[in-house]
Amino acid sequence: MGTATPVEVFVPFRKGLPPLRKYWSTLWKRRSFIAEYSRTQLHEQHFDSVFGQIWLILNPLLLSGVYFVLIVIIGGHSDKMRYGHLTACLFLFYLMANTLSGGVKSVTSGQRLILNTAFPRLMLPISASVVAFFRFLPTIFIFLILRTILGLPIGWNMLWSIPIVLIAILFSSGVAILISCINVYFRDIANFLPYFTRMLLYLSPILWETSAIKPQLRKVELVNPLFPLLDSWSRAVVHAQAPHLTSMLISLAWAVLVFTFGTYFFLVREREFAVRV
Amino acid sequence: MSNSLHKPGEIAVSVQHLGLTYTTTIDKRPTLKARLKTMGRGTKQTRVVRALDDVMLDVAYGSVLGVVGANGAGKSTLMRVISGILPPSQGRVEVYGKVSTLLALGVGFSPSLSGRANVYLGGLAAGMSSQEIENHFEEIADFAELGDAIDAPMRTYSSGMYARLAFSVAVTVRPDILIVDEALSTGDARFKEKSLEKIKELRSDARALILVSHALGTVRDICNEVAWLHKGKLIQRGKPDEVVDAYASFLQVGKSAAINEDV
Repeated sequence: MGTATPVEVFVPFRKGLPPLRKYWSTLWKRRSFIAEYSRTQLHEQHFDSVFGQIWLILNPLLLSGVYFVLIVIIGGHSDKMRYGHLTACLFLFYLMANTLSGGVKSVTSGQRLILNTAFPRLMLPISASVVAFFRFLPTIFIFLILRTILGLPIGWNMLWSIPIVLIAILFSSGVAILISCINVYFRDIANFLPYFTRMLLYLSPILWETSAIKPQLRKVELVNPLFPLLDSWSRAVVHAQAPHLTSMLISLAWAVLVFTFGTYFFLVREREFAVRV
Repeated sequence: MSNSLHKPGEIAVSVQHLGLTYTTTIDKRPTLKARLKTMGRGTKQTRVVRALDDVMLDVAYGSVLGVVGANGAGKSTLMRVISGILPPSQGRVEVYGKVSTLLALGVGFSPSLSGRANVYLGGLAAGMSSQEIENHFEEIADFAELGDAIDAPMRTYSSGMYARLAFSVAVTVRPDILIVDEALSTGDARFKEKSLEKIKELRSDARALILVSHALGTVRDICNEVAWLHKGKLIQRGKPDEVVDAYASFLQVGKSAAINEDV
C-alpha cells in the first residue's frame, strides 16, 4: 500500500449536499444513459410505430377540438384566432403536464437501479423531461399546418417561441425534479397530480385569453407561473407579436427559481433514496 | 483484455471507522394520508436504523474477502457504501480501483424491457460507454446462457435467469474490485460451479473480490479472509476457518449440511 492514491473516497456529506462539481460532471458523462433511457421509454409508448405517432398527434388535436366545443357552448366568442390560441397553448401546456406526470414516479420506479448502482439520481427525472419533449415535437408541426390553414399572421416575432419553450422546459423539469423527490416520501402525490394539473389548466390563459379576464381575477397572474409564459407564447405563435418583456422576465425568474429550489431539495434528499424507495 | 494493473497484495478497499445511520419509514408505502393519520395520533412514523457501527476492513488485490453474518447484519449496506450507493454517516471509505457497481440485481430495473435493453441501461447508468457494453455484450449473453430469452422482457425471467444475467454482467465487465452479494443462490448447480470457476479465475488475475454469502462451505473454500458482521458491528475478522467456525457455533447450527451448500 502506501504510494497508491485512492480512485474514490467516500466520506460523509457536508451540509447534506454531495460534492457538486463532481456531481455535475458525472451527470454530464452519463448523458448517454439519459438518451438511451428516454429512447426505450418512447419505444415502450410505441413512439416509433406509425400508429403510436398518429395517436400522439391525434390526442392533442381531439383535446383542442373538445375544448373548442366547450367554449362555444358556454358562450364565449369563437373565431379562428381563438382556436389557434387554444391549440397552441394546449400543446405547450401538455409539454409541461407530460413532464410532470412522467417525472413524478421516475425515482420510485427506478428503485432497482437506485438500490444497486451508484449514479446521479437526477438522471431519472431529467429523462422524463426528455421524453416529454420528444412527445411535444410532432405537435409543433401540427400547429404549423393548422395555423397555415387558419391563415394566422406570420412574422419574425414567432421566433420568440424558442426561448419560451426553453423556459417551459426549465420550469417543468424543476417541478418534476421536486415532485419526484416528494413522491419518495409521500407515494400518493402521484395520485394528486392529475387534479393539480387540471387545476393549473383552468387557471392559465388557455381556454380563455388574458384580455378576456375580469380585472378582479387578474390576481391569478401573480401566483400562476404559467400565466406570463402562456401569454407570451400565445402572442408569439398565434399573433406573431413580440411578447411583453416583463412577462418573459417573470417566467424566466419563476423557472430559474423553481429549478434551483427543486434541484437543491432533490440533492439534499438524494442520499436517502436508497433506504427509502 | 486483461487490465490487471494491480500487484497482488496492494490495497484495494480500505474501510475506516465506518458508521451509517439512516431514518426509514415503518410503513411499507409511505403516503401523505398515513402521515396525517399518525400526526393526528401523535405516533412516530419513522425510526432510526444504525446499520453500521465503527467497521474497519481492508481488502487487498489478489484476495477474496468473505463477509458473513445473520440477516440484517449490515452486509448489503456495507457493500452499498463501498460501491458508492450510500454515502457514509461517519468514517471513510477509500477505493483504489473500479468497482463493479452492478450488485446482485442492478440489471432488470425495468421489467417490461428486454434483458438486452436492461444490460445496456444498467451499464450506462454505472458509467460505461455504449461501446464498452457493445464489446462485452456477446460475452455477457454467452456466459448467462439465456439464448433467445435475452430479447424477451425481463418480467418473463425466472429468478435463476435473473441471477445468471446479473452475475454475467458483474464479472464480464472485468472490474478491479468485484462485489458478489448472494447473487448465486438462485442459480442451478451447474451455473454455481461455473460461477465459482469464474471467481477463482478473477482472484488469480489479481483482482479484489468481496463475497457476501450464507454458504459457509464456499466461503471456507475460496476466501482468504473472512469478516463476520453482526447488527452493524464487526465481530471478528481473520482466517476463514476460525471466523466461520466461530460464526457457525454462534448460529448453533454446527457443520450441518444445510449451510455448506449454497454459494
